[in-house]
Amino acid sequence: MSLAPAHVAGVGMVRFGKYPAEVTLERMAVGAARAALADAGAALTAVDGLYVGHVFGGPVAGQRIAAQLGLDGRPVSNHENYCASGATAVREAWVALAAGLHDVVVVIGVEKMTDRISGGVRPDPGDLDAAVGYVMAAGHAMSARRYLADHGATREQIAAVAVKNHAHSVHNPYAQYQTPISLEQVLGARPIAEPLGLLDCSPISDGAAAVLLASPAGLRRLGITGPTPRVLGVGLVSGGVLTGTGDLNAEDVSRRAGEEAWKLTAVGPDEIDLVEMHDCFTIAEIVRMEGLGLIPRGQGAAWTADGHTSVGGRLPVNPSGGLLSRGHPVGATGAAQVCELTWQLRGTAGGRQVEGARTGLAYCKGGTVNGTDGGSVTTVVMAR
Amino acid sequence: MSANAPAGRPFRDGLLRLDPPRLLGSRCPSCGTTAFPAREFCPSCRAVDGLAEAELGTEGRIATFTVVRQAPPGVAVPYVLAQVDLPDDDVRLLTTVVGAAPEDVALDLPVTLELAPFGTAADGTALLGYRFRVRPSRGEVPA
Repeated sequence: MSLAPAHVAGVGMVRFGKYPAEVTLERMAVGAARAALADAGAALTAVDGLYVGHVFGGPVAGQRIAAQLGLDGRPVSNHENYCASGATAVREAWVALAAGLHDVVVVIGVEKMTDRISGGVRPDPGDLDAAVGYVMAAGHAMSARRYLADHGATREQIAAVAVKNHAHSVHNPYAQYQTPISLEQVLGARPIAEPLGLLDCSPISDGAAAVLLASPAGLRRLGITGPTPRVLGVGLVSGGVLTGTGDLNAEDVSRRAGEEAWKLTAVGPDEIDLVEMHDCFTIAEIVRMEGLGLIPRGQGAAWTADGHTSVGGRLPVNPSGGLLSRGHPVGATGAAQVCELTWQLRGTAGGRQVEGARTGLAYCKGGTVNGTDGGSVTTVVMAR
Repeated sequence: MSANAPAGRPFRDGLLRLDPPRLLGSRCPSCGTTAFPAREFCPSCRAVDGLAEAELGTEGRIATFTVVRQAPPGVAVPYVLAQVDLPDDDVRLLTTVVGAAPEDVALDLPVTLELAPFGTAADGTALLGYRFRVRPSRGEVPA
């Protein structure tokens, strides 16, 4: 069974960063949504429903946003899949359009973190991993330690992910960080969870991103006649309970998320021109690209250091700067990736444009569950 | 009870036995897979009937580790966090590791299960959890 694509009628973001407390979740979400509506030339009255991804926004954050945005009274739903929340909201919106339930919907990913999170994010307190001292950085540090030992990779090659993504975000006006960093800065940064340091970690950020999705009938309602990038499909899988003592970086959950995407969209991995990848930590970009099968096993670190994943390389990864540089307001990230793919597929990404981009993949991995290889993973496939 | 049995109770039911210290998993009667913590299904073959409690071996090896230098407020750093493999049970688990300076911890080091203080219950009872201790190398006198 294949579902119809969703057309991206408009996208908008507020710059990710650290904002004072008075820049509220609602205010950021409204800013991003207004920008997406303006991008499409759409009136509020054209919108059928609102899908909101967030983690820390509290009860009915979506309805609080709707009442500020002017979408009060519409169907509003809140979607929590930790760092994949925004992408999960995109998936549910795509399904609703394909089912014929709605024709024009707004998707918002939003998070206000800097006034409520410090020292890093961790699993739910009820999870056994949290009880024994797990923090997200520790999980990725253990992944990096094993990767270095198993593949003959170097610490410098892993650090190259941060250097590359910061070089990209110099050209992204929505990025939290817009200045380049050196390899020496990454290697010399304060240790967080060895072997990873501060610049191997995405920041704690505030921000919002919004996407206006439409069916063909919705495009007619909006008066949009030209070509629009399309969301061809969104894969969603969950981590599986692991048994035995196999490869710590097997990333079977990423393999399965990729298979879902290829199955839903009939796009193959060899057709992907660029990837927006969930680089919450440097090593994560590497092992997830390998898990998807987009980079051969054990070669991701060397590929990065050799420039193959830079804009202009054979498979650009995170032209936006990724989570490391754009920032990572967790519920907003999946929607921000769709914004970036839209600009790339329109050919309007400026200094970070991937030339000739026709098909892109956006990947999010959200949360951890004790004994599994992850919480939720989403794979958004888009084409121009 | 042995003379030096710790006072207190496990911080979570069904997770460990105190005297002697043992981690408790579940074993599948159909395919033999051991899971930790215990589950009400077999993660390998999805059987749900006849799963039995299994005491896990106490000797393991460090599959990977990190030294945590920054944690949320209230958590003392640094500490060593590791994935430890229990080869007798084909089980991997997350645990803190003690008994060596962070710079002396290495991949494949042998480690042994021990009990660890895990805070205090609302009724004042001491709670006990688990951690692994680096085994002294041959000829070395344990501290």
